Amino acid sequence: MMTMILRRLAALPVILLVIYTITLTLAWAVPGNPLENPEKRPKPEVIEQMKKQYNLDSFPRFYVSYLSSVTGFEYAKDWVSGDLARDQEAALEAGFPPAPRPIFDLGPSLEYDDWTVNEIVGSALPVSITLGAAAILIALVVGVGAGVIGAVKPNSASDLFTLTIAMIGISLPSFVIGTALLLVFAVLIPMFPVGGWGGPMKAVLPAVTLSLPFAAYIARLTRMGMIEALGADYIRTARAKGASENAVLYKHALKNAFLPVLSFLGPAAALAMTGSFVIEQVFTIPGMGQHFVNGVQNKDLFLIMGVVLIFATMLILFNLVVDVLYRWVDPRIA
Amino acid sequence: MSRMLIPVAVLVALVALSVFGDRPLPRADLTYINSSEVNTLDPQRMSWMHDLRTARLLYEGLVKNDVLSDDFDIVPGVAESWDLSEDAKTYTFHIRSDAKWTNGADVTAQDFVFSWRRALLPDLVSDYVAMFLNIKGAQAFYDWRQEQLDGFSDREFASDDARRIAAYDLWEETKARFDSMVGLHAIDDRTLVVTLERPVPYFLELAAFAVFSPVYEPLVAQYERPDPVTGRLVRRPGWTKGGVLISNGAFELTGWRFKRDMRMTKSPHYWDRDSIAINTISIPSITDPNAGVLAYQTGSIDWIANVTSPYRGDMVAQKLAFFDEHKERVAEFEALGYDQFSITRMLPEDPRALTHAVSSFGTYFYNFNCKPRLPDGRENPFADPRVRRAFAMCIDKPAIAREIRRLGEPSASTLIPPGSIGGYTSPKGLPNIGDAANEEERAAIIARAKALLKEANFPHDFIVELAFNKDAGHDLIGQAIAKSWQKSLGVQTSLSQKEIKIFREDLKNKQYMTARAGWFGDYGDPTTFLDINHSKDGNNDRAYNNPVFDDLLFQASNELDPVKRMAILSEAERIIMEEDLPLVPIFHYATIYMFDAKKITGLSTHPRTKQNAFLIDVLGDGIGDDLPRPMNPDQIQVEATTP
Repeated sequence: MMTMILRRLAALPVILLVIYTITLTLAWAVPGNPLENPEKRPKPEVIEQMKKQYNLDSFPRFYVSYLSSVTGFEYAKDWVSGDLARDQEAALEAGFPPAPRPIFDLGPSLEYDDWTVNEIVGSALPVSITLGAAAILIALVVGVGAGVIGAVKPNSASDLFTLTIAMIGISLPSFVIGTALLLVFAVLIPMFPVGGWGGPMKAVLPAVTLSLPFAAYIARLTRMGMIEALGADYIRTARAKGASENAVLYKHALKNAFLPVLSFLGPAAALAMTGSFVIEQVFTIPGMGQHFVNGVQNKDLFLIMGVVLIFATMLILFNLVVDVLYRWVDPRIA
Repeated sequence: MSRMLIPVAVLVALVALSVFGDRPLPRADLTYINSSEVNTLDPQRMSWMHDLRTARLLYEGLVKNDVLSDDFDIVPGVAESWDLSEDAKTYTFHIRSDAKWTNGADVTAQDFVFSWRRALLPDLVSDYVAMFLNIKGAQAFYDWRQEQLDGFSDREFASDDARRIAAYDLWEETKARFDSMVGLHAIDDRTLVVTLERPVPYFLELAAFAVFSPVYEPLVAQYERPDPVTGRLVRRPGWTKGGVLISNGAFELTGWRFKRDMRMTKSPHYWDRDSIAINTISIPSITDPNAGVLAYQTGSIDWIANVTSPYRGDMVAQKLAFFDEHKERVAEFEALGYDQFSITRMLPEDPRALTHAVSSFGTYFYNFNCKPRLPDGRENPFADPRVRRAFAMCIDKPAIAREIRRLGEPSASTLIPPGSIGGYTSPKGLPNIGDAANEEERAAIIARAKALLKEANFPHDFIVELAFNKDAGHDLIGQAIAKSWQKSLGVQTSLSQKEIKIFREDLKNKQYMTARAGWFGDYGDPTTFLDINHSKDGNNDRAYNNPVFDDLLFQASNELDPVKRMAILSEAERIIMEEDLPLVPIFHYATIYMFDAKKITGLSTHPRTKQNAFLIDVLGDGIGDDLPRPMNPDQIQVEATTP
């Protein structure tokens, strides 16, 4: 297993480099000038200099310089060569306290004047991870529960009911569900606050909304897996040896039926935890999802690259975690 | 299976920790929704209205506007008094002794020199640098610095070290140059002398603008240093955060969480702290138009500074119906001199009364590209003013305001909202088909427009393209204008909807035929609107060039007599609104507020739409004197009895 983990970790930088190259090429091709301000415009010569400062005037230079600042290479280089120390000295000499420098620098945001991409990700990512994790938990409990109920009595009323709910969960867009939940549970029956982030009460409605499509999908996966497992020979054997119905269901059948759910959880968790633009809009949540959309709309190159790299890393890591869990839950898979 | 429960349990614990660890703060005395997330708290970098509104809470300039007066009088701020020289070119500001920064340090004249110098550095790309160029020598300094920077990155250096040293040397030289070149000097800690290039009758208006606010040098200088590659002074973010920012206004920034909220408390060092009737302010980042109204309805918000929900038209209609139900009382209060917020406060309680439409200092218009050739190389018919005039007359403006916008906004025949600037008389503007009293009159206007097109040899098979960005209902307005033109002029049209960044880029490069636009004035002088049509102005998206118009602006800038000056400017506006029409004004904006007038007082109804939120008092909360703060209190004839 260790070799598998090491091999996968070794592949991580290569995959990220490919993603970096493709994303940057696409983002670079987006028309529009990120340094353009809406109403009052800087002079063309000023824009030229800003482009030079950020390397926005040349694709190859930007490609290399951003890569080296994101990976910490630039920091390491300046540290080894002594430039870092000299920079600070020079600043001190001129009467400026030395500038603190992050090792992995995702760059400045071109749109949000007062924030760096590191700060933006640092403030948005914990929110998105928390919300996503809560949603995945809800989805697991609800989805697996509904799937088992359906599988025990296929085509019964309760099965049809859970299937219908699952269908609705998959098909209804989250802005409809979110707005409906808000209207009912925040405005008509004021149980929860209308929006924002901070404290458990504010997390409930968005987590539920975010969990629904995942719960529905998990319910269908569980139901399918359980129906298949319950018809298998080892279940008959278990029943024959006199195992209780609960033991049959949860110890034998669910353990096998759960594997497809587990492999779904990797990408699902990454998807849930990198934020949803729609849910963030409806519930006013300061998460990551909006930066994907706004970054592209504003052509905020540094922000686009920052969030894409973070998302890609998370996706790869979660898949790895799921694979490790897989082997841990079912040691037969080597 | 039980193995699987371990990671789940870990996940549960993590979520619980994160959720419960993030406790909400107690409700502030005043919670309001700004129209959008604050972009920057660096005053010299600001240009957005919601940034400027926030800045006026945190910073105080030399002077400020009394937003609760009809004339928007200039009143003392950090400067307790000022003198103007005989030739009207030199202002001497006397800084009050009790003006303090939030850390207790004195606000000095040097602080203003430092801050205004920041605005004048091309390095920091201040959007409002043009306002500072009125200061003597400022343009020369700006150009000199720009020239130095242009050359810097191409200069050859023996080593990186030499380059770095040169960057710092250039910065030292820049500071010395500024002091010798620019007419801005701190005579002592409390005396600031500003010498202008030429008399600027509205200079105090500029000084009241938040971009002229001081920043705290010991803090800000830590975050700015020359970049060895380009020589530019690079501005790093960081000093505008809660707990770090040191400012000199009525409030102190205690927290700013990105896209979450901003919190402020009353500054214990502010000189006029006794007049402030709120102790804490919270500004949550709620940008979704519906979420804001919902949050208001659940009672967590006191004031929405810009309601943008799609159903706001209905909200405004209901408010008008509410006023209509009480029209005798409304008329009675109006006659006594009360503003609309005060009138609402004195009427019976009603959910419809929470919406307020306030006329704004801005105009929605359509640009004509005035270049002789179109982007595709064809001859541009809109280069001919007669064509522009014909198209301008044939837009049913009142119908757009009434049926599409539905916010009670007045249709516009001039660029400057009439009545918004004291002493200024707006020109009449062109006749418009929407204003015609009857069918004959309408037909006459259309006939006149068609005759103009014929005179100008407008090509028959020409397709007129209307460009707009895809948000905020611009598509509906574009459709209505296109229909107006098709119906009355018989021309073909095509609509072109674009992403905002691309749209702006196209405007700047004149890659369009006709395009939507809007402009909000910054200070109380007609030039704030007219300047954008000057042939050399950076915001002249129309490539409009009329030497007569430019010359009128020049004459006005040299005219010392305010009455004559206003007459010259009025003539300049007449030229663009009755003859040349580089743009067609469609309507003047209204801003929609949501607040309970029985609870919140101190907001201004002045069409300049400038709110000094530190004037707000929450009635009945026991903080401050809890008395209504109406507009023009001295002009109100009798204190009407509240029912």
